[in-house]
Amino acid sequence: MSARAVSLSHAGWRTFLGKRTMLVAGASILLFFILMAVFAPLIAPYDPILQDGSARLQAPSLPHPFGTDNFGRDILSRIIWGARIDLQIAFIGVVFPFVIGTIVGTVAGFFGGIVDAVFMRIVDIILAFPFLVLMLSIITILGPGLSSFYIAMALVGWVSYARLIRAQILVLKNNDYAVAAVSLGFGRMRIMFRHLLPNAIAGSIVFSMSDAVLVLLSGAAVSYLGLGVQPPVAEWGVMVAEGQSFITTAWWITLFPGLSIVCLAFGFSILGDALGELLGVHE
Amino acid sequence: MSAAILSVRDLTVKAHLDDETRILLDAVSLDLAKGEILGLVGESGSGKSLFCRSLVRLLPSSRLKIEAGSVLLEGQDLTAISDAEMLNIRGGEIGMIFQNPSSHLDPVMRIGDQIAEGIRYHQGLDGKSARRAATEILSQVGFPDPICQYQSYPHEFSGGMRQRAMIAVALSCNPKILIADEPTTALDVTIQAQILQLLMELRDRRGLSIILITHDLGIVAQTCDRIAIMRGGKLLEEGPKRQILSRPRDPYTIKLIHSHPSMPDAEPVAEVAVAAAPVKPILEIDDLHVRFRVGGSLFRGSAVKTVSAVSGISLQIMPGETVGIVGESGSGKSTLARAVLGLTPLTSGHISFEGADLALQRQASLKKLRREAAMVFQDPFNALNPRMTIGQTIGEVLLVQGKIAKADIPQRIDELLDLVGLDREFASRKPRSMSGGQCQRAGIARALAVDPKLIIADECVAALDVTIQAQIIDLFRELAARMNLTLLFIAHDLAIVRNLCARTIVMYRGEVVEDGPSEQVFSRPSHSYTASLVAAIPDINPDKSLFSDARRVPQSIPSIKSMP
Amino acid sequence: MHRYRFVFLRPLQFLPVIFGISIITFILVRLIPGDPARVLLGTRATPTAIANIRAQFGLDEPIWLQYLYFLRNLANGEMGKSILYKIDVLKLIATRIEPTLALVVCSVLLSIAIAVPMASIAARNAGRGPDHAVRIISTFGIGFPPFWLGLMLIILFSVKLDLLPVSGYGATFGDKLSHLILPSLTIALSLSTVLTRSLRAAMIEGLKSDVATAARARGMPERIVFWRHVLPNSLVPTINLLAVNTGWLIGGTVVVESVFALPGMGQLLVRAIFSRDYMVVQGVAMVFACATVLVNFLADIATVAADPRVKL
Repeated sequence: MSARAVSLSHAGWRTFLGKRTMLVAGASILLFFILMAVFAPLIAPYDPILQDGSARLQAPSLPHPFGTDNFGRDILSRIIWGARIDLQIAFIGVVFPFVIGTIVGTVAGFFGGIVDAVFMRIVDIILAFPFLVLMLSIITILGPGLSSFYIAMALVGWVSYARLIRAQILVLKNNDYAVAAVSLGFGRMRIMFRHLLPNAIAGSIVFSMSDAVLVLLSGAAVSYLGLGVQPPVAEWGVMVAEGQSFITTAWWITLFPGLSIVCLAFGFSILGDALGELLGVHE
Repeated sequence: MSAAILSVRDLTVKAHLDDETRILLDAVSLDLAKGEILGLVGESGSGKSLFCRSLVRLLPSSRLKIEAGSVLLEGQDLTAISDAEMLNIRGGEIGMIFQNPSSHLDPVMRIGDQIAEGIRYHQGLDGKSARRAATEILSQVGFPDPICQYQSYPHEFSGGMRQRAMIAVALSCNPKILIADEPTTALDVTIQAQILQLLMELRDRRGLSIILITHDLGIVAQTCDRIAIMRGGKLLEEGPKRQILSRPRDPYTIKLIHSHPSMPDAEPVAEVAVAAAPVKPILEIDDLHVRFRVGGSLFRGSAVKTVSAVSGISLQIMPGETVGIVGESGSGKSTLARAVLGLTPLTSGHISFEGADLALQRQASLKKLRREAAMVFQDPFNALNPRMTIGQTIGEVLLVQGKIAKADIPQRIDELLDLVGLDREFASRKPRSMSGGQCQRAGIARALAVDPKLIIADECVAALDVTIQAQIIDLFRELAARMNLTLLFIAHDLAIVRNLCARTIVMYRGEVVEDGPSEQVFSRPSHSYTASLVAAIPDINPDKSLFSDARRVPQSIPSIKSMP
Repeated sequence: MHRYRFVFLRPLQFLPVIFGISIITFILVRLIPGDPARVLLGTRATPTAIANIRAQFGLDEPIWLQYLYFLRNLANGEMGKSILYKIDVLKLIATRIEPTLALVVCSVLLSIAIAVPMASIAARNAGRGPDHAVRIISTFGIGFPPFWLGLMLIILFSVKLDLLPVSGYGATFGDKLSHLILPSLTIALSLSTVLTRSLRAAMIEGLKSDVATAARARGMPERIVFWRHVLPNSLVPTINLLAVNTGWLIGGTVVVESVFALPGMGQLLVRAIFSRDYMVVQGVAMVFACATVLVNFLADIATVAADPRVKL
């Protein structure tokens, strides 16, 4: 009775934005940007870096649908090329923390005791620093640039995954099937990676989608502040910064790269929501 | 019988799902007389809870609709009134209490305020008078210090007191009819008896009419005037208690009554095979203590406290014995099971399994235990890895144990499924697509895959419906006999243990208070706690009254929960 | 009231964390390649200044001793001098606390003021139009880069409508407030999306919960069910979420202060990074970290106050 009753009561609000629709929509948005990045040389109408003094600060028009910037570069072309960098930021900035955090969290949660206490104190300390502040401090040491950003991400970002996985493992290892696995004489590795982790990881996968949004925004913010991707490379955050001096006269330089970030982030978000419903994870 | 206060005719509820329309209540008609207690009996999914919620239009989903029928409350058709009028009916005319008081009481609101809320809303009293009235109700339902306890939050009480609080909240609206949905299922038997008694007192004192929803025919036999049996959304049978119990007409009712694990009168279940030859015990427990640390850490400033879950138990289990361990929640019976399997560290004492001492040679005896003992768990869904098929689950055990050749594993899986009465096609199914009973059979198959000498079953039928319970118990009985298993069967349900086990051990607050042949333990208990446990079981025979003075639960034995 | 005893004991638990914070900030500066004295004083430092700082920080001593010097200086309230501003780092930071604190407080209040009504409307209309609207808006809003959103708000309110100042900070209270509106709105719009989503989920859960069912079963109208039972129960997870997001919120102020040229700690941090003013970077990072710890402590107190079951 109970299982059926729950599924019935959930059904009501799911119909409009069915999980299927959301999954397809999220994946499509993501695919759109991936294709754009992969085929940038083919689809971008202009060179993203080459300056053209004759076409400066042009408002959106047919030859330049998103207008041009103060160096006469086509905004649309720069956005298309920028997709390469921003997707890379979201991907690399999530993968390393995900892997590190998952391993640390699983080990800490499973073994408990001293191992757990040490790792969790480290997590506490890193979490005490505001994310962006710690990242900026690390970038200060390593010098501005995208690789510094990735290193900083790997150093800081794993804590969320470690915490998430650890909490799951702590619950699961007292679950009957985990106790059963112990009582049946299974090895630790088998219990950890075959019985616990597969059941614990759903939450992290869902979280990685909202984390991708966070990483994307941080990467863009760091670049906006001038500490990440360096001009003249086309990256959306850099482009927003470049347009800032012209917001009163040439709003398009700022508007379109920002909208690109919003759209890509939206794709990640609804994909995460859909996965969450599909896997039965509540944030 | 006086005129019906509530009269339901052809009540039909349908669920409109995406691809189909399912009938959940199929033209149910029922009457409730004033001052009557009606027992509504059925297994999960029978529609008994839904029926009661439909009366006050509290359907769990907007996809459920009342399609036909009428609900006449003192002549007024509740299916025809407006939503605003229905607000006065709910609580004010028809009150409800639920199975799980912990989740139905507001955790962040004081108990007294929750009661006063209903009084203010339904009787329009001002704050001060409502408070006085709420305090009065608290004392009526058995709170010893109502003025003080008014200020308490639900989590500060034990399960039994929480259920009393929920009854108080329902009474605050001064209803004529009380619907009690499995009100004692989550409680220990002794507490259950107290709550049932309270309900009957309230009926007598306030002239309440009560619909008591339950799966336990024993409760119905003890408390109700009439019985209605439901299954699959249909009302199968309905009539005076004694008539239904003694002369059931519907085959399902007959099956239900037969599945009920009542105490047999005298005849012994099975003769205890008193070993004449000097047989060595398979399991020997000597002065076992298990303590847990609670709270307390260096920085919390409180001293480290320990609670004793098991304190000083000594036992001997012979090979082939079927031993039941009974006790209420918190009595330490599960901890004992886990300690025996080496899943919980021992504080002191010895456990030796076929001579291997868990305290002295931990690694060696753990290795032995893992290969020769297995456990069956309470929650059948939770005990199986949801991501693996039954075949994978059983196969993994066979692989890790390595007792048979790799090539023989598929065949052995089939044999094990046959043994527990599951179709072979279940090997490729996952727990999610199976029923509770099927999952429990799979769990037993996994335990048998070890080819164990000893099986410990921890509350393994508590989560199942009665008819399924009976099947699983039969399976255990058959397996134990056929495979010469030693079975340690842990349960809070005494009747089940009485039916299955030749020997019974009663635990109370971490100690063994009674140990002997089941027949003797239940018919001539030597310890007053055992006596009170036995007395608190609602018998399916209405003549063995739960509330007669002779069987009144002795008050001298405090419940575990109320212990400091 | 022993449930509140942790108020006195909790700070003890923070000690290891504060200790860790001091180690990390210490290490941060030591990891910079090059002579620490030159790093700390900049390229144009006089030999006497270099000698002074070597003595003060014990730069010729082994690293663990250097750390002890660092702790000692810290205990005396000395975190070195800013190269750029030529004054004590802590004094410098003190002058910048007010705008940042004001920004954080305004942002939190504003985001709650946005999130609670939005979530309530969505939850009470779950599955219908308003709910979908709120869900889509909040899902979209999560992806808004604060720096970009700030610029868009400037275009709208300052350039097009000419209602509010573009950047900077005022002198009088009213002036300050008007300068804070756009920056805090920027942060609040971002923060409120997260809050709305969580609050909405908690409220929907609450409306379906046994507590709500029980309240309805005793005839309470939806109004009372929602405001008296569902809302108070939804607050606890939201307080936690706010605490978890403190770090994120402070990160947001760093960016937003740069966008609006608000003279707070965030702007100070960014400028210090560019001018390689490491002492300031170290000081700001430390103060921010301690502030986060403090906020989490306040959140603990709020949680205990909101939920009688919680014991810390």
